[in-house]
Amino acid sequence: MKLNIIQQRRLWWAISGALVLASLVAMAISWQQFGAPLRPGLDFAGGTRLQLTRTCVTTDSCTEALDLSEVRQVLGQQGLDSSSLQVLGDDQQVLSVRTRTLDVDERTTLQSVLNEAIGPFDASSTQIDSVGPVIGKQLLVSGLLALLVSFAGIVIYLSLRFKLDYALLAILALAHDVIITAGVFAVLGLVLGVEVDSLFIVSLLTIVGFSVNDTVVIYDRVRENLKLSPGNHINDIVDSAVNQTLGRSINTSLTTILPLVAIFIFGGQTLKYFALALIVGFLAGSYSSIFVASSLLALWRERTGQAYSSDPEDVNPQPEAQS
Amino acid sequence: MALTIAAVVVITQIPTRLGLDLRGGSQLTIQVQPTAAIPSISERDMEVVQSVVEGRVNGLGVSEAVVQQLGNNQLLVQLPGVSDPEQAERVLGGTAQLEFRAQRAGTDQQLAIENQVLQGHLGEQAALQASLPEGASVEAETQVRIERLQSDIQASEAAIANLFEPSSLGGDQLTDAIAGTDSAGRWVVSIRFNNEGGNRFAELTKAIAGTGRAIGIFLDNRLLSAPQVNVQYAETGITGGGAEISGSFTAESANELAIQLRGGALPLPVEVVENRTVGPTLGRDSIQRSLYAGLVGLALVLVFMAVYYRLPGILADVALIIYALLTWAAFNLLGVTLTLPGIAGFILSIGMAVDANVLIFERTREELRSDKTLYRSVESGFFRAFSSILDGNVTTLISCLALFYFGAGLVKGFALTLGIGVLISMFTALTCTRTLMFLAISLPQFRRPSLFCPGLSSVRPNPVRP
Repeated sequence: MKLNIIQQRRLWWAISGALVLASLVAMAISWQQFGAPLRPGLDFAGGTRLQLTRTCVTTDSCTEALDLSEVRQVLGQQGLDSSSLQVLGDDQQVLSVRTRTLDVDERTTLQSVLNEAIGPFDASSTQIDSVGPVIGKQLLVSGLLALLVSFAGIVIYLSLRFKLDYALLAILALAHDVIITAGVFAVLGLVLGVEVDSLFIVSLLTIVGFSVNDTVVIYDRVRENLKLSPGNHINDIVDSAVNQTLGRSINTSLTTILPLVAIFIFGGQTLKYFALALIVGFLAGSYSSIFVASSLLALWRERTGQAYSSDPEDVNPQPEAQS
Repeated sequence: MALTIAAVVVITQIPTRLGLDLRGGSQLTIQVQPTAAIPSISERDMEVVQSVVEGRVNGLGVSEAVVQQLGNNQLLVQLPGVSDPEQAERVLGGTAQLEFRAQRAGTDQQLAIENQVLQGHLGEQAALQASLPEGASVEAETQVRIERLQSDIQASEAAIANLFEPSSLGGDQLTDAIAGTDSAGRWVVSIRFNNEGGNRFAELTKAIAGTGRAIGIFLDNRLLSAPQVNVQYAETGITGGGAEISGSFTAESANELAIQLRGGALPLPVEVVENRTVGPTLGRDSIQRSLYAGLVGLALVLVFMAVYYRLPGILADVALIIYALLTWAAFNLLGVTLTLPGIAGFILSIGMAVDANVLIFERTREELRSDKTLYRSVESGFFRAFSSILDGNVTTLISCLALFYFGAGLVKGFALTLGIGVLISMFTALTCTRTLMFLAISLPQFRRPSLFCPGLSSVRPNPVRP
């Protein structure tokens, strides 16, 4: 298989552009609905979530389904009408209630009235998450800060190891991956009510790490080819670099995504969407490395009059490149 | 090889520490609220508040509880296996209550007995907690014992508190408490009151001096210390607003008491701003699911490598298993607490480890296709892939560092396991796989390029570069 990256670059850019545009639109719509580009989860918005499992699950004697209307009635009596409800679990016997942030007493009351109405619940499989608004903001700020710092760190490292134009184009490809992943989750938030929590920021950062890795492998090959045959046009060099590393790119993505698919299918509730975010991000990352980052590098060099390398740094092997 | 054996020993000898989301328990973030009197919270204030919170946590009787400072005005409290998170949250919040109370007349014997009973319970509790396996979940039977002991301790403490009269001399009137040595070089704790407190303290000490009754110093209704007042103060009480508590203090115990007293004097309210509680059964469930998922994923990867890369793939599989063992051992050795995202980080780092191998093998194949000898191909496969492996791993490490530095809780766990994994994966890919590969090509029966690259026989030259 041989890919003509440069020849069909308009096609690749169009695909990427359309995806990025769609993502931005999805985020804009969700901005109108939730006041944020993605549906913010408990971690960022603050609130209390109670996850209660009926005792009958442990003894396998559940006969009737959870009655949500009854739950709503109970919540109404407690003045918590605006809470959201969800029924989880293989046999639909796990109730998840999300309310505004409750203090201990309010929470205990809610737990006991729910227990009376639709219980009994198994105390040892109860999950409580309660996040005050201050903490929510703190989690968001620290998450975004981590994202920015790692972007900056990667630019610095790549401009030391390669050159600044490689680094900036790699970051452009990263932004593409992050935006598309966020876009997919904006759509999921709008359609399925999927919320993002701090694990989502973790997944974005992991995507950054992995996808820059993909890009670096290709750029590494471009740099090497430039040294071997400095007389070739940059387009040919990029084309052959991408094709030489294609097997690696596909296999690595495959071997990384395989365990993630396993987590997505078999893993617990917490990790499901985490794995999904990584899968989307890694796919976008492979695509952007192979098709976008490479062709942009060729375009950039061509436009800046460096179609044929004359830069001694490109031609002469740098000492650290060989170490 | 030796490393692998060492790793297996480590895994079997040192237990893996599981995070609260896996073993069940509560994690609380406590925010110290500034007040009008104390608008900004200093480091010394935090130390003092931490000691108050630690005192409360100890009162809960949870084994392996951890209290850590978080930023400059928060504390992180981890309570593994706590059975009643509501009670914990109630006990931990609120302002410290310090009180100086006079012992009731004629209760000397009772106090001694109750104290002995309490010490007995506390000793039993300490022994029980020490006997528990670290990081594991507790059996139901032991859990019942722990809870019974806990209620006995609380009953004892309440009984002791009952032997003292209520008083109006509290922490708000105490201005300072400092540990130091007296003229004879013994450790003492000096306390100072404000004017009002000084007068009340004088009254209090006057009433009980020389009677053998003690002043009970209570923090959150638990007796910290019960000093007696010397007979020479029977006339006037201890005046001047200051006093020295002496006794069989060591430097450490004097300091501890001083910090606890300061904690009681600090009118800083603390509030539980985050509570994450996972029931023990739920935690067990998610361990099983994640492990299952991880193993399935790993198995798929191993099969893929063997099928696609043939002999080197199988060698890489061996290296990957060694890698997984080494990483696991490193987690145990470094005391990394494994959380659910941590397991995800571990599984991802396996993906990274595979990538290094894939890079090397693809490169080896290319060299083989360009008609190099097997040995030279393998050699330059490793050599040329190195710079890509290095760059890729360093950029991932940069992300890990950023996450670890800025992240909190679960996020940190993920960054740590992925980071350790990436470091070890570089090592195993560059040493283990390499050793195995060269070992393999030194054996004549393995020295066939077709084992390394399907569709390429050792006789047919392949001049066409793809």
